[in-house]
Amino acid sequence: MIKLLKIDFQKIRGNKVFWVLTGVYALLIILFFFGIQGFLDDLADEANKKSPIPLPGLSAYSLPDIWHNLVYIAGYFKIFLGVVVIILITNEYSYKTIRQNVISGMSRWDFLASKLMTIGMIALGATLLVFIIGLILGTIHTDSITFGKLFNKTEFLLAYFLETYAFLTFAFLIGVLVKRSGFAIGLLLLYYYIVEPVGRYYLPDEIGAYLPKKAIGSLVDIPNTSIMRLFGVEFQDYISFTDTLVVLGYVALFVGLSYWILKKRDL
Amino acid sequence: MQETVLSIQKLSKNYGRIRAVDNLSLEVQEGNVFGILGPNGSGKTTTLGIVLSVINKNGGNFSWFGKVPGKHDRKQIGAILETPIFYPYISGENNLKIIANIKGCSYETIPEVLKTVELTERRKSKFRTYSLGMKQRLAMAAALLGNPKVLILDEPTNGLDPQGIADIRELIIRIAKRGITIIMASHLLDEVQKICSHVVILDKGKNIYTGKVAEMINASAHIEVGANDMDALEEELRKNENITGFEKDKVIMMVKVKEGYDSAQLNSYLFSKGITLTHLNTRKKSLENYFLELLAEK
Repeated sequence: MIKLLKIDFQKIRGNKVFWVLTGVYALLIILFFFGIQGFLDDLADEANKKSPIPLPGLSAYSLPDIWHNLVYIAGYFKIFLGVVVIILITNEYSYKTIRQNVISGMSRWDFLASKLMTIGMIALGATLLVFIIGLILGTIHTDSITFGKLFNKTEFLLAYFLETYAFLTFAFLIGVLVKRSGFAIGLLLLYYYIVEPVGRYYLPDEIGAYLPKKAIGSLVDIPNTSIMRLFGVEFQDYISFTDTLVVLGYVALFVGLSYWILKKRDL
Repeated sequence: MQETVLSIQKLSKNYGRIRAVDNLSLEVQEGNVFGILGPNGSGKTTTLGIVLSVINKNGGNFSWFGKVPGKHDRKQIGAILETPIFYPYISGENNLKIIANIKGCSYETIPEVLKTVELTERRKSKFRTYSLGMKQRLAMAAALLGNPKVLILDEPTNGLDPQGIADIRELIIRIAKRGITIIMASHLLDEVQKICSHVVILDKGKNIYTGKVAEMINASAHIEVGANDMDALEEELRKNENITGFEKDKVIMMVKVKEGYDSAQLNSYLFSKGITLTHLNTRKKSLENYFLELLAEK
């Protein structure tokens, strides 16, 4: 199994597009995370000028809430990694290397497993990035750090890993399905930003909530802020077991469908 | 006792309504240099794709080394289908490392196979910078990794210049001498004749001829003769029992002869009958003509 991961890493190592895209992703995340407090402060200043009552300031960086905050924001950037995954899989089709891999002695399952492990590593990397930034920002902005403050709510990191992984298997499935990178990326964006949101508008909530983007995105709900509490809005500030199950179900579905397509089609 | 390397029974593959492979059966024995000969679109690559598990069959069976096929068989087979396929942004050497890892063999044979195909100097260059000839040679190197029992080559000289063709052919013959079983698809009769010991001829996915190459070449050979008096020539040809058939083609006769009877014998026979030839030529029929003949016989 480790060997399969190694093979995929050998393929990625010289792939400039992969490193540029993941580098840009990491840079965006870092810039955004470090800049967010300034943005929130400005927002609070503006709001306070107009507000008849003084509004409490927002602190995005204080432990342990920072885990929830960062993970929620990072969720918006996962589309970027989806594009990376699509490029990784569609490359194998456009170069026909998937065919040569099988000829050389991989089974279709081996091929899929190697890609799933790579996706796992990408999701792990994204999670580690959030963890490291969270650790830095959290310790700077939190008074009297305790072990409990540090690691309380780190389940949000696990949820973020699952959210990213599930989304990337979705992107992978699209890549396997259409085989061409431009088309696959277009389809992913179309589904993500148009088809599902529009679909959800017409579907009843009980069904809409279980569509893939929504289900995966709902794993980590919007962080509660003191302002929102002021208005009586309360979001889910924990990871729900049912949500997790639904997302795990989607992972199984996406992987299963990918395998079925790989198996069924000539390479 | 020779081992059966590859056995194919009644294999079929449809692309929509087109039968790419039609009830094909054949056997390849250990040590054969087995040619699969046929024009473009006759099902050569499809057949190889099926036995390499990249194309799903619609019917029939095949087995490698007498067993149900699986990925472990393919690890003992070095194969190139159609064009050389590698990661373009990775060096030749690192591409070979990927394949070595897939095959589960060590990197130890990499320098050796690179030397065999004379790519040692360019091993660090990215694959996309290679010329077509170098790409073909790298594919050959990849196929040779891990000392395979069987080598499968699909049009290995396609698109190469004469020097490249000569290099690859010489390489194949050298490899064959080591006792590796080789299965080679080609649309060039000449190529099969020069390299292979056995041949199957495919047309529209059907096996229309199987046998040893030497026998096939004899069957396809004919002698062209011409004389000023074509009628007298025709009459004398008719009388000679070594001649199995002939056919008039404008100013020459195309003569089929029994095995062992050659143009010198035919010439002296006709001369003794008072016919002086103005044209004498031994021809191996082009593959195309031979096909027409084989098909007509069906």
